[in-house]
Amino acid sequence: MLKINWFSPLPPARSGIAHYAMQVLPVLAARHEVIIWTDQDQVAPEVHQIARVARYDPAAPPWRELNNGTVSIYHMGNHPEFHGGIWRVSAQQAGIVVLHDLCLQDFFFMLSVHYGKDRTGYLAAMERWYGAEGRNAGEAFCAGGISAESMALKFPLTREAVGRALGVVTHSRQALQELNEMPACPIAALDFPYAAAEESRYRAWVAARGAVPGPPYRLVVFGYLGRNRRLGALLEALAAIGEREQFRLDICGQLWDEGQVRTQIEQLKLNSIVNLYGFLADDQVEQKLGTAHLAINLRYPSMGEASLSQLQFWDYGLPTLVTRTGWYTSLPEEAVAFVRPEHEVADIQAHLRAFLADPGAFRVMGERGRRSLIKNAPGRYVDALAQFASEALRTSPRVSALALARGVGQDLTKWLHPDAGPYVLDRASGEIFTVFEGHK
Amino acid sequence: MKILIATSTVPFIRGGAEILADNLQEALSAAGHEAELVSIPFKHYPPDRIPEHMLACRLLDLTETCGVRIDRIIGLKFPAYLIPHPNKVIWLLHQHRTAYELWDHPAAGDLIHCATGPVVREAIRQADRELIPEAKAIYTLSKNVSGRLCRYSGIDSEPLYNPPSNAALFYKGSAGDYFFFPSRINSVKRQWLVIRAIAQCRERVRVRFAGEPDNPAQQAECVNTVRELKLSDRVEWLGVVSEEQKRDLYANSLAVIFPPVDEDYGYITLEAMLSSKPVITCSDSGGPLEFVVDRETGLVANPTPESLAQAMDALWTDRQNAAAMGEAGRARYQDLNISWANVVEKLLC
Repeated sequence: MLKINWFSPLPPARSGIAHYAMQVLPVLAARHEVIIWTDQDQVAPEVHQIARVARYDPAAPPWRELNNGTVSIYHMGNHPEFHGGIWRVSAQQAGIVVLHDLCLQDFFFMLSVHYGKDRTGYLAAMERWYGAEGRNAGEAFCAGGISAESMALKFPLTREAVGRALGVVTHSRQALQELNEMPACPIAALDFPYAAAEESRYRAWVAARGAVPGPPYRLVVFGYLGRNRRLGALLEALAAIGEREQFRLDICGQLWDEGQVRTQIEQLKLNSIVNLYGFLADDQVEQKLGTAHLAINLRYPSMGEASLSQLQFWDYGLPTLVTRTGWYTSLPEEAVAFVRPEHEVADIQAHLRAFLADPGAFRVMGERGRRSLIKNAPGRYVDALAQFASEALRTSPRVSALALARGVGQDLTKWLHPDAGPYVLDRASGEIFTVFEGHK
Repeated sequence: MKILIATSTVPFIRGGAEILADNLQEALSAAGHEAELVSIPFKHYPPDRIPEHMLACRLLDLTETCGVRIDRIIGLKFPAYLIPHPNKVIWLLHQHRTAYELWDHPAAGDLIHCATGPVVREAIRQADRELIPEAKAIYTLSKNVSGRLCRYSGIDSEPLYNPPSNAALFYKGSAGDYFFFPSRINSVKRQWLVIRAIAQCRERVRVRFAGEPDNPAQQAECVNTVRELKLSDRVEWLGVVSEEQKRDLYANSLAVIFPPVDEDYGYITLEAMLSSKPVITCSDSGGPLEFVVDRETGLVANPTPESLAQAMDALWTDRQNAAAMGEAGRARYQDLNISWANVVEKLLC
């Protein structure tokens, strides 16, 4: 049994990671000793029922109490308000870092420059990982000369978030590899945890869907609908196919730019087909997803993260269109329909026509997705997380070794002539290896 | 033989380990060997300094000097015992204790208060596990240290006792109206516990403390406590005393109090026994428990002011018994055959 210090956003924070925490924590706390650390002003009462909730000050973390734990697990995402304090602790104390977002450029920019007024710190981080090119790009970004999207893609700053990590957990190994931001510590890619609904509820949704078989078929887009959710391409694709009247598109969730979306709907003459619902309560979400026929879950560019929405769609047995990028590339071919980023409109149209031609094939796709949720069971996730943490702890002397090696290297380069040969560095590195790794 | 004694010191701090190193050098020289001390200055904070010192030790080459082979290294303290040598023997005084049994000690723990404490602790433990076995033979200061080495690092060793400095000069005087507590003043030696015990005593016991504080704040804290508890007429702070004064203070005391936290060895116990004085120690005091036989050569109290006060009252009111225990302690010392000749023979075998 591990003694775990858990750092994550918690309800009522409007964060998907808080939702994730509530899936994982009850199981984790049943199997391990957990202290839930928070710097939020408010924590929902149900969190206190899971384990002890303790407050920390990011400026003066209670190291003694934290060090009484076996391991700290830090959850990192892109929201500076939710993750700023967590990062400040994780940057000082080695632990397991769970990356919920793989591009953290926006996080560090907002935390350092926007909130912290620490442009120097941000630029130093950019230089640390990307050299002069990174520093120059950072300066240009601060001056408004580069878009946030291109900064995120080219300079994700992911390694800045895992500099002291004993181990890194992602929910998509391939996405991390694509970023070219692999940390030096062990990495585990775990299936995102999701507690599927009881079979009886699922059967009720299937029955509800069967009661309104379509056409028209209900398409649904759901979640926080940022710029990368490709609504523009979807609307364009829908408008351009002759069979569009056989579909109804329900857009559920907060929109990045509602005015722009409404304008596009009008321009494309889709008013009779498309409905905007805004943010929906849980029962309304259930009603929408329970009666939908096809979900659209596109993201481009992707921050690489796992999609909770996708697991929810599968929970309802919904077939889904996804972008072939990031985490989505790891999804089983038979459980989703892929859209290529470079052929978005054409692929969406092809899938919509395929759906009309054989809705049953898509229904089977959704059922396969539902069955695949077994590997996302929180119990499996918790066991894998704990096993990985235990293995990573065994490598903890390496954190000191690497810090020492960096320090020695920096010291030596100050006074050792470049032509002096590798003898001193070889001796130092050899002994660091001997001291911290033994003779094997 | 050309022998180097490898140890580490905290500049301006002198305690039992430093005295032992000097005495070992003297004993080796007396046995006809060329022996020198190599002392590594050690700064244990912030935690990241510690691996640097470990590396510094590993980078030393003490295999020969001016083309002449150094026959043996005797490693005493962390991190100096990590210095490599083909004929190294370790006589372990102690490992870096706050990475082990003092990790979460409320007063002594230091790494635990630091963000990097856990990883540095693991680095120290890993290095000990891997590198202590490099030595041809592993001795320790006491059964207590051997026990820890086995418990935490899985390494077997043999305890090797050594006598205090000038053991032959300790003598028995008359039993005066005071307990004697000679030691460096710090939280681990627990002068504070004795002060609180005095306040709990039924008898008007007196305690004379000798020794200097590791830092002035610790002494000030003790002095303030004495003042707050209105014990000024029952406590005396002697500060640093000469070796001769110290032997006189032992000789003329009623008994010696030595209640540290898990002491490695504790010359104070042996010096008290050589002075025919009973020793009051605590059940968690470590090394002294290898020598103090409860109710025969001293009293073993629980580490609470109340329990310690009971022991102090018992000896204060029964001086005849105290004297008998002191005599028994002296006899026990003689039976243990503790000598430098034995130490030298073992370390050079």
